Amino acid sequence: MTDQPTIRILLVDDEETLLEFLSKRLLKQGYTVKATFSGEEAVKVAKDEQFDVAVVDLKMPGIDGVETQKRLRQMQPFLQCIVLTGHGSIETALESGQQEAFQYLLKPVDYDNLIISIQKAYDKKMKLQYQEFKEKVAEISTSGMGAHGIKKAIGELHKIYGIE
Amino acid sequence: MESNNSLQTELKRVKQELAGYRIELHQTRGYLQCILQSSEDIIFATEVDGMLISFSKGGEKVLGYTWEELAGRDIKDLAENPLLFQEFISSSLQGGVTTHLDLPFRHKEGGSIYCNVTLINLTNREGQRVGTVGVCRDITLWKKLQEDLVRIDRLAEIGRLAAGVAHEINNPLAIIGEASGWAGAVIDDAEGLTPEDRSELEKAVKGISEQTKRCRNITHQLLDFARRSAPEKTEFDVHTLLKESVGFLKSEVKHTSIEIDFDFMPGPLLMHSDPRLLEQVFVNFITNAIHAINKDGKNKGRIEIQTRRTDSKVEISFTDNGIGIPPENQQKIFELFYTTKPPGKGTGLGLPICQNIIKKIGGEISFHSEVGVGTSFTISIPLS
Repeated sequence: MTDQPTIRILLVDDEETLLEFLSKRLLKQGYTVKATFSGEEAVKVAKDEQFDVAVVDLKMPGIDGVETQKRLRQMQPFLQCIVLTGHGSIETALESGQQEAFQYLLKPVDYDNLIISIQKAYDKKMKLQYQEFKEKVAEISTSGMGAHGIKKAIGELHKIYGIE
Repeated sequence: MESNNSLQTELKRVKQELAGYRIELHQTRGYLQCILQSSEDIIFATEVDGMLISFSKGGEKVLGYTWEELAGRDIKDLAENPLLFQEFISSSLQGGVTTHLDLPFRHKEGGSIYCNVTLINLTNREGQRVGTVGVCRDITLWKKLQEDLVRIDRLAEIGRLAAGVAHEINNPLAIIGEASGWAGAVIDDAEGLTPEDRSELEKAVKGISEQTKRCRNITHQLLDFARRSAPEKTEFDVHTLLKESVGFLKSEVKHTSIEIDFDFMPGPLLMHSDPRLLEQVFVNFITNAIHAINKDGKNKGRIEIQTRRTDSKVEISFTDNGIGIPPENQQKIFELFYTTKPPGKGTGLGLPICQNIIKKIGGEISFHSEVGVGTSFTISIPLS
């Protein structure tokens, strides 16, 4: 884990005890973790902080997992969401046409499987992000701006997409 | 002369009357005959002692006997429970009223025929009882449908209950899993533990993790029963999964002489599918094989599990030398609720669920069976 940038994970679940242990394990493995206990809290936190992957429980009081991930992605379009569901609700989630989640996992989720999913979600996020960065760069280069303008615009893009 | 004349007239009148009665009698007999020949019900008449004197064509068909086989026999011997039937007849006779009851008869070839039985006292002109008439309608199919409905209802209810409980247990189970995972991580880093203590703690934490996984499998299977979820896809080794499935059934095989042989392709056989669903199928097929052998009472039971791989598919077959499936039952084995086990022992759900699962992951089931030789089931599933 040491030679890669740390993955920033947002956890959303109303089971506080579960998140307590899950965060501790993830932190110990070198991830950056933020635990939130409701969809509302997660949305609030995501206004100020950037994340790579969100792990969201489907069934929560207040706004549910599907709605939470929708709002999170409105703010951070590249954020990948893993939705944890009780049995049977996978179909419910899929049937409602809200398939924007990176993956649906059955609860209780196996820790090793969760780590694999988080890693894959992160890879996807980076790929998408880099792709769009490249497109934007190409756009700017052909926009007819002066050399100085281009340099400045690309510098902005670096900041927006978090690419050094 | 005159009295002679009136006598003649009287005789003529009587003769005419008699002819009228004869016609009437003929018509009535024809009418009765028609009913007895064409009704699908069992319509019978007996002497006072229960000896059969008439039996309808429909009755012959329903119970599988011919009239020649039945003439002179006691009606109660056709009932599944002759004593009960006798009691029923006696009680119906006392009040002299018509009585109804549902009772099973026995088919000539075996098997129960449930009938709704109506008994009527046959009396002569003096009002004395001379016999009994019975009309019995075959309600076997109706009865079976009714039982199936009750069973489906009960299963659905059990499913709902199980799903509810499993759902509630899943959350604490998740916490136990994470807590034990965290404990394991802490132990890894802990200083000042003696090697013995460390190994004891590691063992304990591993035990908690493994048992949590086991519980999770159970809750998922229960939830599966209530509602089938979409298959998951992971890579796994079929050979390991097969061996694990056999491992689950150790206790079933323990006190029998059944040998389970693996005829596997060399090396691991990796595929991309849903191992949890497949495991359920494997366990079901192996269980069926064990039952087929136990039923046969063979001293040397043998189950062979074979794997083969083609370009895009994996074929797994389970072959037993058990009792075999008679040809007439081979079509029924995938029917919901079809079972040859006694009530309460088999649900008749195993194979339909297996078929459902295999269909879901894009595979096929085929089988070959011979009575007294054994049965071989083959499932063929896409590699990914």
